[in-house]
Amino acid sequence: MPVMTYIDAINTALREELTRDENVFLIGEDIGKMGGVFKATKGLQEEFGAERVMDSPLAEGVIVSSSIGAAMSGLRPVAEIQFADFITPAMDALTQQAAKLRYRSAGTQTCPLTVRVCYGGGVGGGLYHSQTNTSWFIHTPGLVVVAPSSPYDAKGLLKAAIRDDNPVMFFEHKKLYRSVKEEVPVEDYTVPLLKAAVKRAGTHLTAVSYGYTLRLTLEAAERMKQEHGVEVEVIDLRTLAPWDKETVLDSVAHTSRVVIVHEDNRTLGIGAEISATIAEQAFDCLDAPIVRVTPPDIPAIPAAAAMEHFYMPNVDKIVAAMEQVIRY
Amino acid sequence: MATAIASIGDEQAEIPAVIAPSLREGAEFEPLPEATLRRLYTYMLKCRTVEEKIRILFKQGRFSGNYFAAVGQEATAVGTTLDLLEKDAIAPSHRSFITHIMKGTPLKLLFAQLYGRKTSPDQGRSAPAHCGYAPLNIITPSSTIAAQLNIGTGIALAFKMRREPNVVIALSGDGSTSLGFWHEAMNFAGVQKLPMVFVVINNLYAESVPLYLQTAVTDISLKAQGYGIPGVSVDGNDVVAVYQAAREAIDRARAGEGATLLECKTYRWYGHSEIDPAKYRTPEEVQEWKQRDPIVAMEQRLEGLGLWNEAWKQELIAGFRQEIEEAVDFAEKSPVAEAEECLDHVYSFSVRERELDRKVWSPKFEVVRR
Ligand SMILES: Cc1ncc(C[n+]2csc(CCOP(=O)(O)OP(=O)(O)O)c2C)c(N)n1
Ligand SMILES: [Mg+2]
Repeated sequence: MPVMTYIDAINTALREELTRDENVFLIGEDIGKMGGVFKATKGLQEEFGAERVMDSPLAEGVIVSSSIGAAMSGLRPVAEIQFADFITPAMDALTQQAAKLRYRSAGTQTCPLTVRVCYGGGVGGGLYHSQTNTSWFIHTPGLVVVAPSSPYDAKGLLKAAIRDDNPVMFFEHKKLYRSVKEEVPVEDYTVPLLKAAVKRAGTHLTAVSYGYTLRLTLEAAERMKQEHGVEVEVIDLRTLAPWDKETVLDSVAHTSRVVIVHEDNRTLGIGAEISATIAEQAFDCLDAPIVRVTPPDIPAIPAAAAMEHFYMPNVDKIVAAMEQVIRY
Repeated sequence: MATAIASIGDEQAEIPAVIAPSLREGAEFEPLPEATLRRLYTYMLKCRTVEEKIRILFKQGRFSGNYFAAVGQEATAVGTTLDLLEKDAIAPSHRSFITHIMKGTPLKLLFAQLYGRKTSPDQGRSAPAHCGYAPLNIITPSSTIAAQLNIGTGIALAFKMRREPNVVIALSGDGSTSLGFWHEAMNFAGVQKLPMVFVVINNLYAESVPLYLQTAVTDISLKAQGYGIPGVSVDGNDVVAVYQAAREAIDRARAGEGATLLECKTYRWYGHSEIDPAKYRTPEEVQEWKQRDPIVAMEQRLEGLGLWNEAWKQELIAGFRQEIEEAVDFAEKSPVAEAEECLDHVYSFSVRERELDRKVWSPKFEVVRR
């Protein structure tokens, strides 16, 4: 099995899906000749031509809207949004059109499209190249929101997203692109949407996260074992909407303690939803208050290193939260 | 050349209504066959009869919500959508309900839509006038003005990629031209030479806002230049002129020559919706436009050709009324959806269980109370 980076896994998934299904095509800014600003689509235009790997005008609204129309007509578009920060021109297309098309047509018109979105901070990108805004879309029923944390999942989930009949928002953390490597099968496989994964088993504490912060959470879990002998169960949500309540609540029923880690804003981030659900449906299972590790509620991530560091979740912050919950 | 008046502030200004020249330099339009002329008229009359009935039903409280009548604009709606192919798509605006009649959506389903019944194309979800119909490729629209144009580009893109000879007729109003979506759609259609006809129905108002506050040009077709596509303005109350211009644009699109912007200058007789008394327009202005009734104009034209008489008109209306009565009856007797059906069609999988059955978890560990 070859070892792949996260970005290689995405590139591979796109190539395989373009090969497998002639209805699949890619559209986005700079994805053609240039192969994307992060090189996710490197070499694909050469291989599949300018029509199936299409450089769009600089207009997120039309990237997503034209994908909706094409998907309505039976194609399988995969749109790229260069930075999550610039998705706002496509907000109507996503929240009013894609999310509601199936609903408003009572299932007679649908848009099986995939929107790949590069998100996340910790790279000194500053206010407009660092945001994590998955919550905007988690808050929009009709959209499936996915955010893989590993190369294996990235390939399998992207293929599943492309084959899925719903509009899927696929969030790729830019810091993961080249920082993680693992063995990824060359064969065709998919990872199921809507299913969380237990990435590390444990009995003392449930830690829930996704994407880049999932990796930090795994590191924190290892430290908890080394430093305190605490066994942390780490759940990777993978799909953020609709999220896999069963896996999370089953785990909480065994551990009785919960830490939630995410890079979205704190207020109404997915941690708030998970906490509320635990309070409603698993109140008796809790032995300690739920603790969230999130950025503060400020408009965006400052560029200066010290401020960015203060903003971002990190292993120390997660360990501190875990200690607090265990000590309670 | 006919002129029309529109209020500009307190003053009345003349807005020239243009008869479009053919896009092909120096070319003249062929005279239309008699059968086409009669069909254009017949459909305008049908659309008017249907919409006047809808307005009465609304006023009687037989259905709720609202309705956006295109009465007075029939020449535009009919001339741009007559004889489309089944797979040709319509990207409709809120005032395009009657284009369903043109495409062939059964009247029964349209009235079921107005009544919000389970038998309607969207099973009672959308507001009355926001109707789509998948079998005939009519997008179920949202209310967001101009969003349908952008989505239309994707349908056109799919036609182009699959080398299919179909077109997208994208309808929108003068107000829509101010939105970013409008620009994005026109620009993308220009770049990709998409098989589309953008029909801007310039009825001089967007709700209460007059054209001069919407745009600094009087001929919206001028904007086409900025997108590298042809643009024409046409007297939107002259169904023959609209049809000829639209046919030329549709033929271009089918031939792979790209999109066209077709501005049709017309006027809505009534308020923006059925609850708008339209006090922002003077009675004189409305009267002036009513005298330019596209249906009466066509009657005179047909009569001159020996193709029209009052008896035929009454016969047509009687036929339409019967079809309408049957459709109203169908709608009124149709069931409404069960309340819980609001949980359906969110995703390709069901969310019913998730929403209705909120399971409770209990501890699976040994509870040690301190
Ligand atoms: C983005 C957006 N803004 C505002 C509205 C409310 N609204 C509905 S119709 C309309 C006027 C549309 O005018 P125009 O495009 O000229 O079409 P017409 O009603 O004249 O057919 C407005 C403001 C809306 N539906 N969508
Ligand atoms: Mg208008």
